[in-house]
Amino acid sequence: MDWNLLIALAINGIVWGLIIALIALGLSVIFGLLDIINVAHGDFFMVGTVMAFFVVQTTGNFWVALLLVPLLAFILGGIIERLVIRPIRNAAALSIVATFGLSIILQESVRGTFGASPRRLLAPVEGTTMLFGIEYDIYRLLAALISIIAISAFFLFLHKTKFGTWMRAVRHDREAAMAMGIPAEKVFLFTFAIGTALAALGGVVAAPITTVDFKSGVDILPFCFMAVIIGGLGNLPGTAAAAVLLAFIEGLITSFSDPTVARIASLCLMSAVLLVRPQGIFTGASR
Amino acid sequence: MKISKTTINLCVFLFFALFLVLAPFVLPLFVSPFWLSVTSEILIWSLFAASVNLLFGYVGLLSFGQALYFGVGMYGVAIGVAKLGLGFWPAFGFGIFLSVVMALIAGVFAVRLTWHYFAIITVVFSLIFYFLALSWKTITGGDDGMGFSMPPMLSVGDFEISMTDSMVQYYFILLIVALCFYLQHRLLQSPLGKALIAVRENDTRAALIGLNVYALRLTAFVSAGFLAGVAGALFAFFGRYASASYMFYHVSGEGVVWTLVGGLGTLFGPFFGAALLIILREELSVYWEHYLLLVGVIVILIVIYAPRGIVGLYSDLLDRVCKNDDDQNNKPGSEV
Amino acid sequence: MMSRPILKLVNLTKKFGGLVAVNDVDLELESGKLHAIIGPNGAGKTTFFNVISGFYAPSAGQIIFDGIDITKKASHQIARLGMARTLQVKSVFGSMTVAENVWIAAHPRGSVFNPFRPASSFTKTKEKTEQVLEATGLSEMANLVAGTLSYGDMALLEIGIALATEPKLLLLDEPVCGMSPAETEQTVGRIKKLSETVDIVIIEHDMEFVFGLADDITVMAQGGILAKGSPKEITENAEVREAYLGEEDDEDWHHA
Repeated sequence: MDWNLLIALAINGIVWGLIIALIALGLSVIFGLLDIINVAHGDFFMVGTVMAFFVVQTTGNFWVALLLVPLLAFILGGIIERLVIRPIRNAAALSIVATFGLSIILQESVRGTFGASPRRLLAPVEGTTMLFGIEYDIYRLLAALISIIAISAFFLFLHKTKFGTWMRAVRHDREAAMAMGIPAEKVFLFTFAIGTALAALGGVVAAPITTVDFKSGVDILPFCFMAVIIGGLGNLPGTAAAAVLLAFIEGLITSFSDPTVARIASLCLMSAVLLVRPQGIFTGASR
Repeated sequence: MKISKTTINLCVFLFFALFLVLAPFVLPLFVSPFWLSVTSEILIWSLFAASVNLLFGYVGLLSFGQALYFGVGMYGVAIGVAKLGLGFWPAFGFGIFLSVVMALIAGVFAVRLTWHYFAIITVVFSLIFYFLALSWKTITGGDDGMGFSMPPMLSVGDFEISMTDSMVQYYFILLIVALCFYLQHRLLQSPLGKALIAVRENDTRAALIGLNVYALRLTAFVSAGFLAGVAGALFAFFGRYASASYMFYHVSGEGVVWTLVGGLGTLFGPFFGAALLIILREELSVYWEHYLLLVGVIVILIVIYAPRGIVGLYSDLLDRVCKNDDDQNNKPGSEV
Repeated sequence: MMSRPILKLVNLTKKFGGLVAVNDVDLELESGKLHAIIGPNGAGKTTFFNVISGFYAPSAGQIIFDGIDITKKASHQIARLGMARTLQVKSVFGSMTVAENVWIAAHPRGSVFNPFRPASSFTKTKEKTEQVLEATGLSEMANLVAGTLSYGDMALLEIGIALATEPKLLLLDEPVCGMSPAETEQTVGRIKKLSETVDIVIIEHDMEFVFGLADDITVMAQGGILAKGSPKEITENAEVREAYLGEEDDEDWHHA
């Protein structure tokens, strides 16, 4: 076996895992607080890549996109929460159907404006560097770094700010939190918006290393769900860890087999986790 | 004299039944013959949506993976004909048999879970087999699918009946779909049907009166797999091919959407939902490439404002029309 | 001669992680009496019911119901052996009518899986349904949707559902909780009448209610059994008094 290839695939796995972790955190936080299975989450990621493409096209600057797109997505998420999510909050099963409708709308809007053919976004940083004895793309390392920073910032936000504390309180016990005077409606709105922003940020970061395509959300969604399930629904650190672990394993399997087999393997792992430990492998048993 | 609700419902039912029976003769008078095959497609997809409905509407389990059983039924027929050299009827039976077996195997695991977890595991199972079908190209043809030539239904000497005849095709599909809806109707009126609804309403209470909730859910799951399998087998004959793309979760999602738009937990809801959205697709896609936007908006509006779907709107309307009518027909979810 | 116990528990224990909810309980409830299990909130009463009716598997010990070991049986199997129960939070089939609620419980389990005979053609089930509706006084409401009933009527329906399964033993979890005084009085009468034909165990923390009704009282505290005896014996039991004089926060106990 070619060791260099193996190393490259392993690093690729970790890089992707970190980006997926970013997106999956959004999915997980939306589930944990609003009890909503967001089938449109992959499309939030996709919209992120497309917005990044447009922003780079108009301003010519990737870093503007990195700041602007999550902000736009945050607003978009807020609007969606008000219009679509809030009216069906008390019907959890319907949320899957409603967000499926949302997914259709997002994909079709992008197909109408951006077009159906995939395009590429050039990386803002070019060149390679030596890493563990192989030449590795600098931007990919940067993407991993940005993801780590964003994930850490999100955790800091959750644990160090008043709003973050509110979010954790609502997640822990919605009624008790409301009784304590925490404005739950605001927390829901904000949570959905920030979940959307996280997915879109993942989109911006991933745009230069994947293709910009209205269908990309469909491919990424199952992966995000796998991370969320294996890490434990609503368990944020578990989700992040599972995303990295999964992508790493898939990368390794890909080194001696094709990607589809790798995907089947992780889906089987996910089924096993769902059936044996639906609370996820990183969540303690007593809960 | 007042007309009772039952009478109106019967009239509406007879109208649609008559229309479907006469469609090959009536449709060409008004529209192009192409609409007959659209009608066939509506019938097949309404059976597929019925499988989602049986689970979600009557047992309360939202499956996002019914496409798997549809796809297995489809491949059963295609592989049966193209690889095993089976005739029409054995291939039809083979397709349905495979999807029922698949549903039994998946169901044994899936119905241990409920709610979100059930929805997710059904998607996961369907994705596993979707990817398997994609990569196992020699057997399945992957994304391109596999075609086959239509075996005759009956051939005696020179005389042959085959689905290549558009009349035969339409009536065969109508007959099978009607039969399946009738079976479903019988099932829902039976004690088993009542028990399924009891499980949907309150699984704790159902267990406490001695109902085996797991076995009931499994029964429903396998029955739903049967319906989806029949639909898939019919669709294979209809298109003369099978493809992995029909096993993707978006197809399952469409089944959910049709059911919800038509009316969850009503016998004919899936038919009306599939009919509306497929007609919309056929009409609109000619003029407007992005008609799916409208579908998305309809789905969201229905979920928010009319969660009981078209049939729900219809029965509300009926309630308003015959407000002072007999109360004994006032049961919720009464048949339409 | 003492009659045969309808329910016998041997060293029954239920732990959740480190928490012991039911602690090594040995208990025999003889047939033909109206039993009550009392104790403050958190004493483990409902968990106790949940273990007996098969919701939770016990961590240790044995449950014998009418001579049959049900320790490892699932709740629907236990129900089929003739144990029925109501829940503290009223639990009925919300969108079905009152009559349908009773019907599904009255229908014999063996033929539930007959998929192609119309439900309406089972005349025996229908007769039994009417009987139960009559006995519980729900006949008037037979065609109402269960979810729209008042709290008291819903509690009544829940008892009706339980009775329709023709139980040998009926477990009632706080049957009068949330009822008006009039409804409570009516329910007491009904339960008394029922106890002539079926064995009943009631969980309750309303002492007044229990002392006027039960033949035999078991006091639970911290997952274990503190005392067992007639209402008179229980009121005179020093241990019980001592234990509950300290229960300042649970006002129901001041009645005792």
